[in-house]
Amino acid sequence: MAALWPDNPRLIGEGVPRLDGLAKASGRAKYPSDERPDGVLFAVVLHSPHAHAKIVKIDTSKAEAIPGVKGVHLIANEGATLRYHGEEIAAVAAESEEIARDGCRAIAIEYEVLPHAVTEAQAVADGAPQLTPRGNTQAGRAQEDGDPEAAIKEAAASIEGEYSVPVITHVCLETHGQVVRWDGDTKMTVWASTQNVDGVESEMAGAFNVPATDVTVLTPVMGGGFGAKFGADTWGVAAGELAKKTGKPVWLFLDRIQEHLTAGNRPSASAKLTLAADKDGKITALIAETAGTGGISRGAAFPLPYVYEVPNSRRQHTDIRINGGNARAMRAPGHPQGCLIMESALDDLAEKMGIDPLQMRLNSLAEQDTVPSGAGEPLNRSEIYRDQIKLGAEAIGWDQRKPRSENAKASGPLKRGFGMALHQWGGGGRDDKQVTCIINPDGSVELRSATQDIGTGCRTVLAQIAAEVLGLNTTDITSNIGNSQFPPGQASGGSTTTPSMAPPAYNAALEARDLLFKRIASALDAEPGDLEIGKGVILVKGEREVPWKEACRKLGTMPINVTGSFSEGLTAQGVGGCQFVDLTVDTETGVVKLNKIVAVQDTGLILNMMTWKSQVYGGVIMGLNYGLFEELVMDPSTGLCLNPDMELYKLAGASDIPAIDIIPFDNEQMRKRGVIGVGEPPTIATAAAIGNAVANALGTRVPNFPMTPMNVLNALAKA
Amino acid sequence: MPPEDHKAPAELPRPGHSRRDFLRGSSLAAAGAVMATSAETAMHEARADVSEADGVEIFSGSCPIELKVNGEAMSVTIEPRSTLLDTLRNRLNVTGPKRVCDRASCGACTVILDGDAVYSCTTLAISCTGHEVRTLESFETDEGSVPQSFLQNDALMCGYCTPGFVTACQAWLEKNPGKEPTLDDIKQGLDGNICRCGTYIGVFQAALDAAKAMKKGGA
Ligand code: FES
Ligand code: FES
Repeated sequence: MAALWPDNPRLIGEGVPRLDGLAKASGRAKYPSDERPDGVLFAVVLHSPHAHAKIVKIDTSKAEAIPGVKGVHLIANEGATLRYHGEEIAAVAAESEEIARDGCRAIAIEYEVLPHAVTEAQAVADGAPQLTPRGNTQAGRAQEDGDPEAAIKEAAASIEGEYSVPVITHVCLETHGQVVRWDGDTKMTVWASTQNVDGVESEMAGAFNVPATDVTVLTPVMGGGFGAKFGADTWGVAAGELAKKTGKPVWLFLDRIQEHLTAGNRPSASAKLTLAADKDGKITALIAETAGTGGISRGAAFPLPYVYEVPNSRRQHTDIRINGGNARAMRAPGHPQGCLIMESALDDLAEKMGIDPLQMRLNSLAEQDTVPSGAGEPLNRSEIYRDQIKLGAEAIGWDQRKPRSENAKASGPLKRGFGMALHQWGGGGRDDKQVTCIINPDGSVELRSATQDIGTGCRTVLAQIAAEVLGLNTTDITSNIGNSQFPPGQASGGSTTTPSMAPPAYNAALEARDLLFKRIASALDAEPGDLEIGKGVILVKGEREVPWKEACRKLGTMPINVTGSFSEGLTAQGVGGCQFVDLTVDTETGVVKLNKIVAVQDTGLILNMMTWKSQVYGGVIMGLNYGLFEELVMDPSTGLCLNPDMELYKLAGASDIPAIDIIPFDNEQMRKRGVIGVGEPPTIATAAAIGNAVANALGTRVPNFPMTPMNVLNALAKA
Repeated sequence: MPPEDHKAPAELPRPGHSRRDFLRGSSLAAAGAVMATSAETAMHEARADVSEADGVEIFSGSCPIELKVNGEAMSVTIEPRSTLLDTLRNRLNVTGPKRVCDRASCGACTVILDGDAVYSCTTLAISCTGHEVRTLESFETDEGSVPQSFLQNDALMCGYCTPGFVTACQAWLEKNPGKEPTLDDIKQGLDGNICRCGTYIGVFQAALDAAKAMKKGGA
């Protein structure tokens, strides 16, 4: 049993700059897409230009004849059905990307174009083309609690509402892809832009039937994933095939169009619901029919009821398939959807009852919402929410908020509104990951693990932990991650990376320290028990100071090399947070301008305040995009996606960023919980809070997200 | 500013010949006519074939040119249609600038061409002969420098947009020496760049800090 996190840490909790920050900011960091091994060929993927079609004939001979084209690999063969615009057909490797693109263009394909369904309405319409043998819809089992019908009858008030949010996509800035090099017949090096180094290793090993130990996946840094980069993917395997065929390393990264069409999306969500409350303004019942599409795959489920205690509820969810790319996990999968539907309805009900929606939320929190707490007593998350709401309300100036009716009457086209929402997330760690800590006789210290840094600062945080234990600076530690040959590392998903990797890093450092003491004690004329860590020194019997390097020299030629694993008490899970928004809507143009966002977030023990804050800012900004801009637009008539780019697929730029106040919910009790991940929770509530602030400003609900001028003006026209 | 307009790159002048114009051009002569002299020579030397696929006319064929990148003269063989970005990344191994949108909407590929920040993904390499190309790899990295300021403010997460932001920032500061920008100046100056991880708050501070340091250093 290892020790708990130190009580009076020197580095843990501090804002420590990223170890790889300067390399990234000076263009020196080599991303997988920057790798150009000797003799590299460039590969380009050819994708379906149709929403639904059969490949009748495919002829690659012209492509193969182009000078400079070195290999063609078919991903889909004659007879195959292509199910969406963007589905992969073939990949061509050539001496240059320009030639590889020519090669793709030269592949002659005869298609039998099939009828398509690219919107949910098309997919459920009578006579819709059947996209799978089991039909286009799949209804989940109804979830039921209590007696919602009776509760609605008895309720003091109820609303019936409809809310929706469209499909969006991850838009990782580094597109999906890999560079694959065969080193002999079975050995393979893969530079992959992935959030799952170990997973890609086993997938590639499986695809090529080689031992996993012969596959080395390298991801020293990578350009974002947000849930979309867990696998090797068809194009990763295609790169491997082309590399095998040509005997040369092959670089294959998707272009931006393909990235949008095929590399994953967050499913849409819609709900038709009734929400009811008692006379005190506590929610008592919910009946909801929900639906969503993630494209050709399923996976559009989301949690509902969300956060609040609803004693009587029934919910029936239907997944709809359309001719669109696959759903993939995206930052807090399901939660942003569930949050914005639940929080919109709650706000509308509060409005109808004339109750401050903040009060209604307090009323509707469960009395007990128990979450585990690392080494301490379980906690009641409802209490945490109450404290957080207080902090957030004060920071946004909730007392300036006026009810919708008053805002609607205000003169002039500019209307100001306030909104809020609550969210929750798990974020616990896995117990089967490991970190190796090496102390070399020259005093250098290295950590090794197969986990990767998706941008959260994982590399730095692990080094910080070792530096804390060994009395060194964070920059003294080499944090060597993103290599599948190293001890098993956690995939970056579910906000589990830091809570999975911090405990083994801590334990490895502690064990390495103890072993160091054991090995050098006699050379220092002491017992191991006489030694202690000081800042950059080893303390002998609390007085004599031996500089770190000098002490390590006593190791002789044998480094210390220990591998630490998980232990209980260092992590917990189950966090909550709340966000508040202050904005102005121009009722003539429909343009929403954010004035300020406040995010209050708890995450147990914060390891690095600087990178922690960055993640919360980042989550809020992604939520802001979800609330205001993002939408994949499918053309019902042609079946094509209309905005697979970064121009018509809108994302916030510098001028769209309002003042953002981050309030870490950081206290003694939280720190005692141990480490909990924070990547996902802060992105959940933002869009919901924006929607509520828009409703508050306008005096009417804009039921369809995002809050674009079109959706705002449509709602105003109907009001 | 309405959100629809937020992508308009503020003050990012384009070089003379963009990839789009080039691909739109229907004949070698027309394309040649817009070339700078040195590039023109290169074009003539190139055995440029016009091949037709998908109804789009494409110039291919190899074309040796000289580029000055980060103060160094580099010889490279490109195609007439090769972008500056792809030439840097794929042929010269200068991978600091990143390819993200490839269509002038995100700024990740920003380089400094004769002192101006340009999107290298929509700049033809051939049009850069005789001009000076600077990428962020050539910037100072010590105390007070733009990269250092990004590090100190954690103005990067995955870091893939970062080269573009750093370069846009550097170009802005060089164009406005001694000026202490307001937050709005910074936002406008960086509106041609997109970050998906959401590092803007840090980026703004980094830009403000770098401007301050530059003013101090220059005074
Ligand atoms: S890659 Fe050039 S602007 Fe996006
Ligand atoms: S840091 Fe990842 S996109 Fe900007």
